[in-house]
Amino acid sequence: MISALMDGVVLGLQYGLLGVGLTLIYGLAGVINLAHGQVAVMGAIVVSLAMEADVPAVPAILIGLAAAAVFMLLVDATLMRAVYRQEGESRILLGLLIMLGVGFVIDGVLEWRYPIQQLGLRIGGEPIPILGVPMSTGSLLATAVTVVIGLVLVVFFRSTALGRGVRSVIQDEQGAMLVGIDPARVRTFVFGLSGLLAALVAVTRAMTGPVGVSSTISFTILALIVAVVGGLGSVSGAFAAGVLLGVVDRLSSFYIGTYVTTIILLLCAAITIVARPAGLFGRSH
Amino acid sequence: MTGVSGGAGAPRLLQVAGLSAGYSGEDVVHDVSLHVDEGEAVTVIGSNGAGKSTLFRAIMSLVTPSSGTVTFDGNDVTTTATHRITRMGLAYVPAERHLFGDMSVAENLLLGSYPRRPDPERLAMVYDVFPRLAERRNQHARTMSGGEQQMLAVGRALMSKPKLLMLDEPTTGLSPLLATEAYRALAELKAGGLTIVVAEQQVPLALELAQRGYVLENGRFTLEGTTDELADDPEVQRAYLGVA
Repeated sequence: MISALMDGVVLGLQYGLLGVGLTLIYGLAGVINLAHGQVAVMGAIVVSLAMEADVPAVPAILIGLAAAAVFMLLVDATLMRAVYRQEGESRILLGLLIMLGVGFVIDGVLEWRYPIQQLGLRIGGEPIPILGVPMSTGSLLATAVTVVIGLVLVVFFRSTALGRGVRSVIQDEQGAMLVGIDPARVRTFVFGLSGLLAALVAVTRAMTGPVGVSSTISFTILALIVAVVGGLGSVSGAFAAGVLLGVVDRLSSFYIGTYVTTIILLLCAAITIVARPAGLFGRSH
Repeated sequence: MTGVSGGAGAPRLLQVAGLSAGYSGEDVVHDVSLHVDEGEAVTVIGSNGAGKSTLFRAIMSLVTPSSGTVTFDGNDVTTTATHRITRMGLAYVPAERHLFGDMSVAENLLLGSYPRRPDPERLAMVYDVFPRLAERRNQHARTMSGGEQQMLAVGRALMSKPKLLMLDEPTTGLSPLLATEAYRALAELKAGGLTIVVAEQQVPLALELAQRGYVLENGRFTLEGTTDELADDPEVQRAYLGVA
């Protein structure tokens, strides 16, 4: 039970980080990125290919993160141009469909060229007991990385001009323009950041188990559920929802079975939409 | 009447020439020309729907003009992006304010100086003009009263150290007392050398603040002159000053 809880927190923090990338793009651009998990796994595959080419682990990871970030920057600069010209419902639908297509393309390419390529990062060392539960060094490292990046994000959004700029565009795009912020540049930045964070989650997941093309869709679905439960556009909400859903995930697979976890998580998202449409941390206006 | 202005020979800050603009191909503002010289306070008066907001939005490139030009501080800004116009020194406070409701007063003010670091002297000056904002600096903008939000909107605009402050109906939703208070602050800023353009339905307050004014009706200027001339005009008296 405690071990399932701890696993849930470890997993949940990573779910949170996965949701942050999705929620930021929705908040800024009104685009639901249905290729989020695909971009994450693509980054992980790049890392594994680099490591096979004898690049040491840390530089290989940086290459993978950069690849995912650059990919998202290119999406923003090309495919999304058509989306940004639309308003309201047609913008959301067009963005969703285009990103669904991008996801299929990434899936297709990965299945065609790298069907059995996987990223697994074995972290050596004996399990370390935390609250009496032996935690693998991989889990602990993944958690540490996620927590550090989460804190960096909090500081970034609270205390830097660019971070405040991102939040201002999410809250009121016209207000942002009137204080001298270029929403298009902020959007471009957030696309890159989102790709980087997605790939980072795939890398931390690889510290506890292999990540390959079979993980893409579940990553996307998880990111979507986390973003909905946390409130679309809310970074702190995404982390809180991630931890909550991680715990729900582990407990339901511990008491019932792995086969129901996704259904239970989807149920959580559905209940959130009915009970608190703006998410845990969102405000209904 | 075009020769009348604040300081003789003061440099021209804003020049709008033959501007027409509107929405979905239909012009709301027709062939409007106005100018503002450094140090002046100028008002655009007109009833609801006369086109004041559209005129200001067109100056800020928030709507694309169908014809005409806007020149600010010697540069043609007719098609310049809104955020660039702001950075050039034209700060616009729309009637809807567009504050960042989920951020504190202090954060809204910090964003006002984006992308530069906020100037502590400027921040002190804003808190000096609006002591209320200093008291509420940690409060979320969304939870403040209409009058306080208006102060914050003006304060945020001042943080960019603008050369010209352009306000659209700053008294919207304010009680008569708060409206008077808002104009007291504007008069203080004007005395400090700030150039101001204000669109207003509360005509007496605007005429008192400004030296010159334009009357906008159905998207066209029907009258312009010194505020004394406007206040003496029978048509202005009848339509805007409640004189029978």
